[in-house]
Amino acid sequence: MTATLFLQLAIAGVSVGAIYALVALAIVLPFKASGVLNFGQGEIVTLGAYAALILTQLALPYPVVLVSILLLGAVGGIAIERVLIRPIVKAPEFTLVIATFAIGLLIKGAISIRFGDSPNTIDGPFGAEPIVAAGLRFNPTALWICACTALVTVLVIAFFRYTRLGKAMRAVSVSAEAATLMGIRVERVYRWSWAMSTAIGALAGLLVAPLIGVNPEIGQLILRGLLGAVIGGFTSVPGAIVGGVSVGLIETYSGVFVGTTFKNLVPFVLLMVLLVFRPQGLFGAAEIKRV
Amino acid sequence: MAAASRRNAIVAVAVAVLLAAAAATMSGYPVYLLSLAMINVIAAVGLNLLTGNSGQISLCHSSFMALGAYGSTLLTVRFGVPFWAAIPLGAVFAALLGALLGAPASRLRGIYLALATLGFLQIVQIVIEEFANVTGGVRGLTVPKPTIAGVRVSEYARFLIVLVACALAVWTARNLLASRVGREFDAVRLSPHAAQALGVSVHRVRLAAFALSAAYAGVAGGLQAVVVGFIDPVEFGVSASLRQITFIVVGGMGSVAGSVIGAAVLSALPEVLRPVKEYSDLIYTSILLGFLIFLPNGLVTLWHRATKRFTRGDPAPAPQGSAP
Repeated sequence: MTATLFLQLAIAGVSVGAIYALVALAIVLPFKASGVLNFGQGEIVTLGAYAALILTQLALPYPVVLVSILLLGAVGGIAIERVLIRPIVKAPEFTLVIATFAIGLLIKGAISIRFGDSPNTIDGPFGAEPIVAAGLRFNPTALWICACTALVTVLVIAFFRYTRLGKAMRAVSVSAEAATLMGIRVERVYRWSWAMSTAIGALAGLLVAPLIGVNPEIGQLILRGLLGAVIGGFTSVPGAIVGGVSVGLIETYSGVFVGTTFKNLVPFVLLMVLLVFRPQGLFGAAEIKRV
Repeated sequence: MAAASRRNAIVAVAVAVLLAAAAATMSGYPVYLLSLAMINVIAAVGLNLLTGNSGQISLCHSSFMALGAYGSTLLTVRFGVPFWAAIPLGAVFAALLGALLGAPASRLRGIYLALATLGFLQIVQIVIEEFANVTGGVRGLTVPKPTIAGVRVSEYARFLIVLVACALAVWTARNLLASRVGREFDAVRLSPHAAQALGVSVHRVRLAAFALSAAYAGVAGGLQAVVVGFIDPVEFGVSASLRQITFIVVGGMGSVAGSVIGAAVLSALPEVLRPVKEYSDLIYTSILLGFLIFLPNGLVTLWHRATKRFTRGDPAPAPQGSAP
């Protein structure tokens, strides 16, 4: 393995990992705030990609598409939270897991019906010509994805640390009851955590569409995102990013060392091992329950 | 209690006899559909034992069906084992893998358990697809027609075999739930800590539940392979698992009658929905969501509410819907 190949793989791994990181972040946010794990997050990403497709076909300039997707994503999240999650947020965990799964399948089914299964493509904002620097080739779309992910990470961390709503969200994730007693409107926090989560998910869809095309199967990304969230710990924002990027790197390197047959198995075997031995991941808080 | 269960047994036998008689007069396609419905019942009964009674969420039930289907078919194709031996062996294979998954999974709760079962499902799918020289990969596997001592089994005989298997599955499940094992399942679901304090090995009970539900699914898978004549790996993905979860949510979690009702009612649905086939997935998930929000304890509760007026305080059904 030459140094060049090693670095080239690292770039590929980080680029694909950036998408997984965004998906992982989108999963961690509502889980941190309201304890709901959105198994339908993959389909939010798919929706983002299809929205990007529609908007691009309307010949709108890229910045407009970007902002629209974020807004649409946020609005969609608020709608989902209000209509589908609010009635069942107090339900047993089983109901929440299955319901979010079902919502995801519902979205996927609707997309399949509306758009069919044929793959579509859209172009990245900076073309497909690789940028050559220091003897390495960089895909401009991949660079753009990494830049966006880095920006989102910084913004989210700043949000949690410096804004009132961010601190309210942290408070609610520790104890919703205590937060209510302190005058925090918990429903508002839930609503905005979902809005952020779906906006980020939709953004991931927009970003990943030039790389893998637009088709209903994009939702499979969620499995990698979930693994990233497990690695990072479900309650940690930097953990989600680190976890997602790690999954990207693991996937890319294992493709070289293990061959395609087992390459797909590696993430899931890793998932099982982590769940058994360290479910709180690298940065998450270990769950301690009082009996 | 004895009177109620005797009455139920008589009703069940009557239904079975009626079905057998009716099927003798029906043409091939309705018989085929009835067979599939009963196979769904077997799978649903198994899943309900795991999720409704022992309280463990599982997204990989369809994988155990796949293991039973591929296991029994490969035994027949590669080693000439006749179907009536291959299917039980396939179920044993599924049960072993159920125990293998259950060993670590039974220590997990909630979303972590859901994730673990999801991971297992993906692993099984990938193995099926990648080892195509054994499993036929994404193109599927043709299942040889069932024979007994070299004589081809007729369609009607196949239906009867499925009917008997279904009856056995329901009967064993009911007996199981009424026994100490059933009470252990309920205890582990309702309060693992209290159960442990009373000397019930929570880990072993949960593992047993996994293996048991996998066995039921394995039988269902093996039967499905023989009835359909072809194994398509697409049938064993997340959608299939979710469909089985829909059966038990709609029917009623924790009750065998619920599994039967849910599976029977929803198996009829694809036929009713023939004119709008593309929407069938959508309709399934909408039904699931509707029940989760509005009637989480399933249709069985409607039945109990209706019959409460006619019976004198039968014991309440096993508490449902509170899988922790």
